[in-house]
Amino acid sequence: MFDIVVFLSLITLGYIFGRIAETRHFKSIALREQQLRSILCFSERLPPPLSEPVETTLVAGNVVISVDYFKRIAASLRSLIGGRVTAYETLIERARREAILRMKQEASNLGATTVCNVKLETASITKGKKQQIGSVEVYAYGTALIPTQS
Amino acid sequence: MNYQNPKIPEGINISDEHPLKDFAAMLIGVGVFIVAAFVIIFALAEWLVRFVPFEVETRLAESTVVGTLVPAVTTASKTQKYLTALTADLVQQQQLPEDISVTVHYIEGDTVNAYATLGGHIIIYQGLLEKLPNENALAMVLAHEIAHIKHRDPIIAMGRGVTIALAMASLSGVGENAVAETLINQINFLTAMAFSRDQEKDADDEALKTLLAYYGHIKGAEDLFALFQHHQSFEPPEFLSSHPVNQERIDNIRLFQQANNYTGATRPLPPL
Repeated sequence: MFDIVVFLSLITLGYIFGRIAETRHFKSIALREQQLRSILCFSERLPPPLSEPVETTLVAGNVVISVDYFKRIAASLRSLIGGRVTAYETLIERARREAILRMKQEASNLGATTVCNVKLETASITKGKKQQIGSVEVYAYGTALIPTQS
Repeated sequence: MNYQNPKIPEGINISDEHPLKDFAAMLIGVGVFIVAAFVIIFALAEWLVRFVPFEVETRLAESTVVGTLVPAVTTASKTQKYLTALTADLVQQQQLPEDISVTVHYIEGDTVNAYATLGGHIIIYQGLLEKLPNENALAMVLAHEIAHIKHRDPIIAMGRGVTIALAMASLSGVGENAVAETLINQINFLTAMAFSRDQEKDADDEALKTLLAYYGHIKGAEDLFALFQHHQSFEPPEFLSSHPVNQERIDNIRLFQQANNYTGATRPLPPL
């Protein structure tokens, strides 16, 4: 009986706070993406043909986002019947976009206009460990092209 | 060439379905499946356990209940002899299958109780015997417990108990060794588990028929439940209790009495 109370409290807590955090994060992501739109990002290894001399440097953005209890239960239920794990979809989406944003922010601070050869690495922090809330890490990195003053 | 990063529309990678809706659908689906699976497993276990030969049940009882619930050596007292004789008479009336044997054990102590357990053992406590007003009431108790044994209720209850224990253990994710350990530890408890309300009612009906056959009437049968009613200050509602509520059992006896309108006098208990 006590277990059930704990379980229900955790799931409610996870849902409420997870949902608030997620909504807030998505809003922030949308806003900052708009602000940093001038920085172009490409996954191509080589930069587009350039008309001006540039300096190159590595820029990177890294983020870790945790699953809330509600998401974990929803995902474990989903693992019984299969299908799209919608609970985790938003999580990965947030992590990916946030990592790219942080990378773009760094590029912007350096005065870059373009980032090419952008790559994403995804890692699960609590890999294979049971009874633990998992977290996802996304690491975005690329080559920033900074126009040199000529 | 003009390079640009177009704005990507939202909601491509994530579904906009409300997470609670998805969750509720999954919960209901999985819940219904699990409940259905358990209902089938329980029904199957209860049904299959009927085919366990009585001989096997006796051996199972020897390794579990005998020695703990059932005293190993029963005293050859006057009371014990009287109970054994009365039980034998009642067993004859019920026409039990040949392989089933019934053993009655008289235990001294204040406990007001009697029950049937694995291996055809019936336990009756001194506390109950002392409170009974006449032999007919005692016969009602014994006939009721014999009926349980005839219907194989103890082994069915055990099958149900083991299934529940297994289900609980597997649900809470206990390892295999722990399951076996829990089973062994709890087997005594499980065999002493209460029978279902239907089983109780069937045993009551069978006991009334036995009394009618043995005494020619059922007078004294309801004395037993009147006694329970008198001594039980708090009676839980039926859905919380495995036994039918006493008033219902008394009503059941009265109905039986109306259908078989024989009269007679109760037989007093011999001095014990």
